[in-house]
Amino acid sequence: MTSKTIYDWIDERLGLSELAAFARHKTVPVHSQSFWYYWGGIALFLFLVQCFTGVLLLVYYRPGAEAYESVRQITFVMHFGWLIRSAHAWSANLMIFAILVHMFSVYFMKAYRKPREFGWLSGMALLGIASVFGFSGYLLPMDELSYFATKVGLEIPTAIPWVGSAIANMLRGGPEVGEFTVQRFFALHVVVLPAIFVPLLAFHLWLVQRHGNAVPPSIEALPPEQRESMPFMPNFLRKDLAMWLVSLNILALLASVFPWSLGKQADSLVPAPAGIHPEWYFMSPFEMLKLLGMVKWLQGEPGEIAGILLFTLGIVLWILIPFYDTKKDSGQRARAANYFGLLAIFALLATTVIGYWTIR
Amino acid sequence: MNYPFWDIPILGSGWVIGIIAIFHVMISQFAVGGGMYLPLAERKAQRMADPYLREEWLKQLVRHSKFFLLVTGIYGTISGVGIWFAIGLTNPEATSTLIHNFVFGWAMEWVFFLVELATAAVYYYTWNRIDAKLHLVVGWVYAGASIATLVIINGILTFMLTPGDTWLAVAGTGHEAGNFWNAFFNPTYWPSLLLRSCVCCALAGIWALITASRIDGDKHPALKISMVQWSVKWLVPSFVAMPFLMIWYYMMVPASQQALLSLGIDTINAGTFSAVTRMALVIIVTSATIIGVAYFLAYRSPVDFNLSHAMAVLLLALIATGAGEYSREMLRKPYVIGHWMFSNSVRVPHVDRLNRDGYLTRSEWVWNGSSSSYSHGEAIFRGECGSCHTLNGYRPLAELLAGRDRANIGNFITMLHEYKADSPYRKFMPPMVGTRQDVDDLTDYLNAQVNPKLTQVVQK
Repeated sequence: MTSKTIYDWIDERLGLSELAAFARHKTVPVHSQSFWYYWGGIALFLFLVQCFTGVLLLVYYRPGAEAYESVRQITFVMHFGWLIRSAHAWSANLMIFAILVHMFSVYFMKAYRKPREFGWLSGMALLGIASVFGFSGYLLPMDELSYFATKVGLEIPTAIPWVGSAIANMLRGGPEVGEFTVQRFFALHVVVLPAIFVPLLAFHLWLVQRHGNAVPPSIEALPPEQRESMPFMPNFLRKDLAMWLVSLNILALLASVFPWSLGKQADSLVPAPAGIHPEWYFMSPFEMLKLLGMVKWLQGEPGEIAGILLFTLGIVLWILIPFYDTKKDSGQRARAANYFGLLAIFALLATTVIGYWTIR
Repeated sequence: MNYPFWDIPILGSGWVIGIIAIFHVMISQFAVGGGMYLPLAERKAQRMADPYLREEWLKQLVRHSKFFLLVTGIYGTISGVGIWFAIGLTNPEATSTLIHNFVFGWAMEWVFFLVELATAAVYYYTWNRIDAKLHLVVGWVYAGASIATLVIINGILTFMLTPGDTWLAVAGTGHEAGNFWNAFFNPTYWPSLLLRSCVCCALAGIWALITASRIDGDKHPALKISMVQWSVKWLVPSFVAMPFLMIWYYMMVPASQQALLSLGIDTINAGTFSAVTRMALVIIVTSATIIGVAYFLAYRSPVDFNLSHAMAVLLLALIATGAGEYSREMLRKPYVIGHWMFSNSVRVPHVDRLNRDGYLTRSEWVWNGSSSSYSHGEAIFRGECGSCHTLNGYRPLAELLAGRDRANIGNFITMLHEYKADSPYRKFMPPMVGTRQDVDDLTDYLNAQVNPKLTQVVQK
């Protein structure tokens, strides 16, 4: 009785019944490829884990000259500090992986077509910001590996004609990676990026609610009476939460068995150790630039510029795919888009494998 | 050392036991829990008022007992023998000590094991062929025999962690077997027995969910709902009692082992030793997930509970079991038998003699002088380090010592040799035993592995 009174009191003011009614009527398509629907939710869950662990890390992390020492204390002195840091780092990597899987599943289900173009564009923007999250967070411990990997990464913009050096200096806070860079990256990581990411994520989720889950073209071609669906509440939600639990277990296992360690403190005066490489999700562009630089007539600066141009062109084409592949029937453009998607997967995988294969 | 060393590069011999043992524990504890599950389920079916549901339950139990017989009777038996084979090769000294103390314990276990095997087969093959009451009696005989195997093996396993002061007082005198019951009912016996019993119940429910998940919920909704929900209830005792039993177990292990368990709370240093804490975390997370999935996916919506869900729960149980067994093994460090034998098979009271006479003086299987195919230092490495380390695989010494020159490696080994009271390595590593020459020979060997190019230059 009391709980009903409390519910009614809140409902009268916030309209909970309307939300419940909406959730009751919402359905999710059921077909052989429904598995891919969970990946957006998994990415969201991992983002929430990062918010939680990130706030806890914020309590002890000290940007600037003491960055390394504070991370050392978190990892080796504070109770369960290593766990929070490992969970944060692993969930970041797993989130990028989940977003990539989500992106390719959306791509091959043609879920970018009308009326979901904004869903695709906002998703791509979220992936872009998530990558910058990764890049800025990687430097924060200021150990040897993160220092030199960031140094190499920030040299890439210098290849842009005329403005390249200015952009690189602005990001670094000077001509070299140092404590000013850490300060900038920290501000970017905990204030600027979340301030952009969270509203964009809300917009993305609102679009998903508005347009519902897309189905693959083969299912879309079926008459409505032959399509199956399940109620979002509680059936899909229960399965979605089970996937969150699975993700939590994978995360706990990785964080416990392979805790994120800390290398030597970064020292700009010593030469870069062997084996410096970017995070796995940057390995592909990094390797593409390296491979283009090895072409005989593209060696040096022309190769770098050609690499950046080629990569930018690929990304622009990828982002604009909803405006190219627009028709529901599987015509020539739909096939071309599929080939383009397969080419992108092949290029990403091949260059990543080559990148890791050739680390010295 | 009276036995040859079994060298397993990359993987390390410990993992040979570990891989077999983790799967074996999953199956053998299912054999015990399932032994109680089957007769209780049969009795429940026989008492059902609805004749249709009773028949459906009994048919399902026939299917489940076939699955049970195949899994426990074949894999459980083969992996059990596999463990014997592997421990005999990996740690013959410790195996010998256990056999000398518990030979009658093991004999009893094997008798119960034979009863278990025979009744499991009789139970399955006599469904609907003998009187229902007699069939149930066969089930109860199986359950009793399987519980007896757990009661016995638990005494031997817990002895290795906490042999107890009474047994330690007579260890090495030749009168150890006279203290059989003291060694058997050692300090961690009861908490461990209750912990394992709870795990057995939980595993009985989890394995039963595998067969129950395959029932067609559309055709037999009543059967699927009742069977899935009843199986989930088998997880309840374990998850209610487990936290308290774990605390009891923790309180019964020696203070040095308690320190090892909490070492990883504030650091990931100390290599794999802080992993004990991390593995304990994995057990907590996976166990909580199992109960969550079992309640929300199985108990609340049994009709939709399918084989992939059941496999996910089983996989989580496998992870929890693996983490649990790994933690239990690691908790014994630096001993393989608490305060009596170090993990590299050196007996605690033999340290002074080996330091005086040399490590290899009585190791004729390993070292027979200069005609051996490997050096004196390598023989010491195989004997003293090889039970826990490999050169380039699991806990790789080449990597752990990387960056050190010969003097530095020598200092490190000397520190292990001196084994001072304040040495942090005493928590989890045995001493390096042997003469000064042994220390130098081991240093030379490890230096040649860690700094091969430098060593070649010096030799030229």
